[in-house]
Amino acid sequence: MSTVTQNAARDPVAIRDGLLCGPLSQLAQVRLAGSKCTNCGETSLGTVKICPNCGRDSVQNIALGNRGVLWSFTIVRHRPPGNYKGPDPFVPFGMGLVELPEGLRVLSPIQCDIDKLKIGLALQFKPYVRHDDDRDVVAFGFEPTQG
Amino acid sequence: MSDVVIIGAGMHPFGRIDKTYEEIGADAASAALRDAGIEWSQIQAAYLSRMYLPATSGARILRRLGSTDMSITDIEAACASGGAALRQGVLAIRSGEVDLVMVLGCEKMPRGFMDPSMIYSPWQIELGMSLNPAYWSMRAQRHIYEYGTTELQIAKVAYKNHKNSVHNPYAMYRKEFSLEEILNSPPVCDPIRRLEICAPDDGAAAVVIASAKRARELGASGKAINIAACCHTIARYSADFRCPADSMSATANNPGPTEVTGKQAYERAGLGPKDIDCFEVQDTDAFCEIEIYEALGLCPLGEGGKLIDEGKTDIGGDMPVNMSGGLISKGEPVGASHLGQVVEIVTQLRGQAGPRQVANAKVGLAHVLGAGGNCAVTIMQR
Ligand SMILES: [Zn+2]
Repeated sequence: MSTVTQNAARDPVAIRDGLLCGPLSQLAQVRLAGSKCTNCGETSLGTVKICPNCGRDSVQNIALGNRGVLWSFTIVRHRPPGNYKGPDPFVPFGMGLVELPEGLRVLSPIQCDIDKLKIGLALQFKPYVRHDDDRDVVAFGFEPTQG
Repeated sequence: MSDVVIIGAGMHPFGRIDKTYEEIGADAASAALRDAGIEWSQIQAAYLSRMYLPATSGARILRRLGSTDMSITDIEAACASGGAALRQGVLAIRSGEVDLVMVLGCEKMPRGFMDPSMIYSPWQIELGMSLNPAYWSMRAQRHIYEYGTTELQIAKVAYKNHKNSVHNPYAMYRKEFSLEEILNSPPVCDPIRRLEICAPDDGAAAVVIASAKRARELGASGKAINIAACCHTIARYSADFRCPADSMSATANNPGPTEVTGKQAYERAGLGPKDIDCFEVQDTDAFCEIEIYEALGLCPLGEGGKLIDEGKTDIGGDMPVNMSGGLISKGEPVGASHLGQVVEIVTQLRGQAGPRQVANAKVGLAHVLGAGGNCAVTIMQR
């Protein structure tokens, strides 16, 4: 680790290794990372070496599509326990499974008015930078598609 | 016919208990021994089901009953820990190495929502995707969308279980609530409400199991309950969306863990859902019970709501479910919950359940399901 010089802007890190792809400093190009298995055809979330379905290592790393549809959802009405990094004081928020064109449903916070949540809602991927005390983190949610 | 039988069952009431886990566990173990009419020194192996207790808790609890050098093992499989532990006991007896075994479930849980770091990764916690009820609720929301299940039907499950609990001295909450009170209770994670979910708590339950031959030698055959099947599985690939899953396949079509484990248990017991007189199932939330009706074959897929509407799962119905009041009333001391269900079924099959007794119950089924798609089903027969 470099201990001497630091750029004024800190290089952001992904909220979890292997979950995002694309240059983290250019949010418009960031996507969820996926792994497509050439043996069984299943696509899974994140960069993996072994297919979680068939156990083969025949996986290709891909970028997942940035548009999807809300498959199911809930509204979280209480502050989640532990190291939750959302607004303080707590604001109820939507969370749902977003179905992507690759045949995968990804769990994500849904950033919209909670009254607008409904199954079938068209959504787009929304990466953002979260400024933690010690680092900048690229986190994500989904939001309704614009227009 | 089964070769392993339950000859003793005992329980410490579930609730917020002002005792150490060692005391709670030892109380349940002693109750099971008393019920079996045997001494602790006769037991040859013991298994403890637990999730939130420290290392080697089984030995720490059971040494209170007297010094021993036998194998005592802790077993953990999330909400299905009790089924996994009972299965180990059954397998140990079937192996022929031992013929008299104690299986104990015990838990003392932290208050409020469970510690998320036990189950979730740091990034899931940071994004707020670390409330177990949120996962249950998304299943409910989709079921409502696909099958027209209603929030009233979900509330009816909670109504039934709270109502049954009034007669169960081992339940944490023993209060009947009106449908209106349930529907007016605040949502925790929409559409699931406060009076429709279970709370973590403390408790213990235990059984003494024996080979059929040993039970005869002990003169315990008369009250023995056969373990017709005891199965534990985990969810196949993408077969169950439950915490801490971060995604699921939209293309894989694997049967869920309750369906798989239930089928395995029915086959081993040589029985089907129509042969079962009473059920205790995982009602972590009221919707979950509806889903389990369908997965255990009590009704076709999508018709779980209709089943509760028709009152079929009431104590006086064709297929009573959660006579004990379920986890909604008892709370969920994770490691103890399945053994608590087993004790309830044993009580029912002996005809000792008092006002919550199912008339002439001969066969009962206990089911648990939880994190990682851990599922266990035990079928018992008198
Ligand atoms: Zn594969």
